[in-house]
Amino acid sequence: MPIRPLSTLLINQIAAGEVVERPANVAKELIENAIDAGATRIEVLVDGGGRERLRVIDDGCGIPVDELALAISPHATSKIDALEDLDAIATMGFRGEALASIGAVSRMILTSRTHDSNEGGRITVEGDHVEGPAPAGCPPGTTVDVHQLFARTPARRKFLKSDGAETRRVRELMLRLALSNPSIAFALVSGDRTLLDLSATTDPRRRVLDVLGGELDDQLIEVDCTDEEASIGIWGLVGRPAVARPTTRHLHLFLNGRPIVDRSLSHAIREAYRGLIDPGRTPTAVVFLELDPGRVDVNVHPTKTEVRLRDDRLVYSRLRHAIIDALSEHDLTAAVHVADPQDRSTPPAQREFGARRVAEPPLPLRPSGSKGFDARSAREAMDVPEAPAPSLLAVTGSIPVMQVHGSYIVAEDDDGVVIIDQHALHERIMFSTLLERVLEGPLDSQRLLAPAMVDADSEQLDGLERIGPLLAKLGIEAEAMGPAAVGIHAIPVLLLERKVDIVEFMAELLAKAGGGSLPPDEEAALQEVLDMMSCRAAVKAGEQLNESEMAELMRQRDLVERSSRCPHGRPTTLRLSLEDLEKQFGRR
Amino acid sequence: MKVICDQSALAEALGIIGGVIASRTPNPVLTCIKLLAEDGRLTLAATDGDCGLRLVMEQVQVDDPGETLIPADKLIQIVRECPDPTVTLENDKQAMFIRSGESMFKIYGFDPAEAPPVADFDDEKIDCEINAGDLVTLISRSLFAAADEHSRYAINGVLVEREENKIRMIATDGRRLAVATGNTSSGTGESRCIIPSKALSIMRRILRNDAAVVRIAMDEHQIHVHIDDPSGQATLTSNLVEGRFPPFEDVIPKDQDKRVTFNRQTLWTAVRQAALLTNEESRSVRLHFHDNKLTLTSHAPEMGEAEVHLGVEDYSGEDLEIGFNPNYISDALKVIDQEQVTLELKAPNKPGVLRTGKEFTYVLMPVNLT
Repeated sequence: MPIRPLSTLLINQIAAGEVVERPANVAKELIENAIDAGATRIEVLVDGGGRERLRVIDDGCGIPVDELALAISPHATSKIDALEDLDAIATMGFRGEALASIGAVSRMILTSRTHDSNEGGRITVEGDHVEGPAPAGCPPGTTVDVHQLFARTPARRKFLKSDGAETRRVRELMLRLALSNPSIAFALVSGDRTLLDLSATTDPRRRVLDVLGGELDDQLIEVDCTDEEASIGIWGLVGRPAVARPTTRHLHLFLNGRPIVDRSLSHAIREAYRGLIDPGRTPTAVVFLELDPGRVDVNVHPTKTEVRLRDDRLVYSRLRHAIIDALSEHDLTAAVHVADPQDRSTPPAQREFGARRVAEPPLPLRPSGSKGFDARSAREAMDVPEAPAPSLLAVTGSIPVMQVHGSYIVAEDDDGVVIIDQHALHERIMFSTLLERVLEGPLDSQRLLAPAMVDADSEQLDGLERIGPLLAKLGIEAEAMGPAAVGIHAIPVLLLERKVDIVEFMAELLAKAGGGSLPPDEEAALQEVLDMMSCRAAVKAGEQLNESEMAELMRQRDLVERSSRCPHGRPTTLRLSLEDLEKQFGRR
Repeated sequence: MKVICDQSALAEALGIIGGVIASRTPNPVLTCIKLLAEDGRLTLAATDGDCGLRLVMEQVQVDDPGETLIPADKLIQIVRECPDPTVTLENDKQAMFIRSGESMFKIYGFDPAEAPPVADFDDEKIDCEINAGDLVTLISRSLFAAADEHSRYAINGVLVEREENKIRMIATDGRRLAVATGNTSSGTGESRCIIPSKALSIMRRILRNDAAVVRIAMDEHQIHVHIDDPSGQATLTSNLVEGRFPPFEDVIPKDQDKRVTFNRQTLWTAVRQAALLTNEESRSVRLHFHDNKLTLTSHAPEMGEAEVHLGVEDYSGEDLEIGFNPNYISDALKVIDQEQVTLELKAPNKPGVLRTGKEFTYVLMPVNLT
């Protein structure tokens, strides 16, 4: 076959493959256009999961009749003008590909009227066949009506899932966009069912609760941090450890209002919860980042969910610390779930007895219609009233009462009764103490008369080499001795004092290092190993503690950060509130 | 059986034999003491399966010979609480009656036939004889350095090596090594065994009379120790620790180039002072030798610091800073009775050696300084 230029239609169909994979992508492109057009209400109607018909109706600025033909041609856009504009993209879309691509794979009817004209216009695109533009009567705003999506590209159509699944994707997409645009009302109707109806609000917190569920009301902690020098703005609502989920569905990350997927930043959020939640779970978090658009490259992929950041390390660390700081200001002690004797209908998850109220809802972060990054107005918008500082020492004044079954300590505090898992708490205390200690310099380490030998395979020997600097910090001196063994020359004093079997400990560490299950990030790996050390060194369940040992444990509990959870994220402490006791005993 | 005993002698004997009793065992007869009254003597015997002890008391009056098997803890507690100078032990088929002054106790026992065997001393297997006081010194100077529940089973005991009438006891926990040397009063050829720590600590308690002669017999699996003194006889039997003791000669350094002599008490006091400001995470005292002075420093994070100065006249060598676990130093100074000790050093990451004459050599590994 001779080489020849592709037809415009084919080019558009190919381009559509990148942007438009399924109805949700069509909806995304069209909704983003609507947002950029300054809409205050966006309605989406789908039939047959969106493949039969998908309509997006907005009340935005509209397209003048004489620009309709241009709007549907590829790389036509009103959003950028020159190359320099790419460095400061503040609108949702900018590539000018969407309408052309969608038109190439469907029958698309675009109807629009600007607010200052009396008459709208309509243009119909079906493959390379264009009809119009012709005058049409319609309300101000734009309606894009997409019929028979992928009718002419059956291969693509085959990859679509059931109608229900495609509709769900459209809904999830709308929820994401709704989170970052609280001032826009969103509605989704499938056939004759209304699946989503979010009214406009000036309060981003309200919108987050509308999207994630109102039962999270007292489970969300506000994160608010502005670094003027680095012009990084962070605002968000993050969940208490108790509302972490097994899936990533409740983790939403936005950059300059755009929903993004970014492994590094998601990792920063997870790391902030290290030790507060089970590693298999994902925190509930809605986080909005504001960066100077000049430092963000969103033009990585046509769907724009991936971005590239300049100084991504800095953003990572700011985000992580912002969340850590916010969490540290709250008492995260888990509440004991006790069935309410009066009301058996409410599921326990919705009744967090011990939870304290969080700060008042903030002012809007990103006023609707704001275009471009305006650090000053963003900061002003984020200048929310200071939350009243909650007590840092959650249960100061706890008095150890007793040890039960050699494993738990029961004590009272101001709010009720606390039950402490002695191993989990001691582990947390050791972990925090060691972490602080390691920052000052290597741990004290006792040299051995003759090396203690541990068997190791070649992968573990490689692993040993990789973790060399880490071991030095911990006061472990070890080297390969021959092809299948590691000799330990010096071991941390703490492990000795706590009678930890060093050979077993090293065998476990080598297995992790060799099997690649230690995180590659140095800090994370250090924490992981300290975690192992604390777990082995901590008092065990079943170990009898005398009164002074318990008192010491309780004293340290008040000094240590995150004492409510062990480093694995399991709770160290449960609280049974007085209020709940009174309910249970029928006193109220 | 009916026997009248001196209360304090009985209480003392029971205190020693109580150390043998297994603390946790599903087998109730291992928590018992067997009493046998005959020929004007009372024999107490107990074993935990590994270590057995038989004590013979002479200062008793046997009115009616017989035997019984009684739970140790109750018997010990009762005799300790008896107010009268004498205690009468008497039994019928099911129970033993303990009378003292106006008090009477009844304890249900077990059939004495069920008592686990406690071996007799076997003269055939005699290995050597040693003065009791010398043996106590050897035990004290080695046992403290033995490992405690170590996964290398062989170092949970003390290695005893004898060649002619030279005897050495060696113990290590992997961080320090103690070698105590002494003489036996008889013995030919060579012998070598590893004695469990528990047997040695009981042995130390039966060696009450320094002048007495201790007879030691052994075979491949067991050691028997017998002592006969005016207050009575004691026979201890213990299984030996199987396994290979690490080659300890290799870890005794021969090339230490810095040497300093201390008054034992002065050094001990200084180390104890500095040890006050150490904790679990940072159990080390820093020894800085400089200009005929030794400065000991320690610090416990978030607690405080200590600094102790000592004059050292005879320090030979350049400035040196080395860290040690203070307990390791004190442990050794506690068991020495000579006035002078020498400390030999080489470098901060090399072992230190503490000596008193030829009788005691103690190698201790440093803590890395940061």
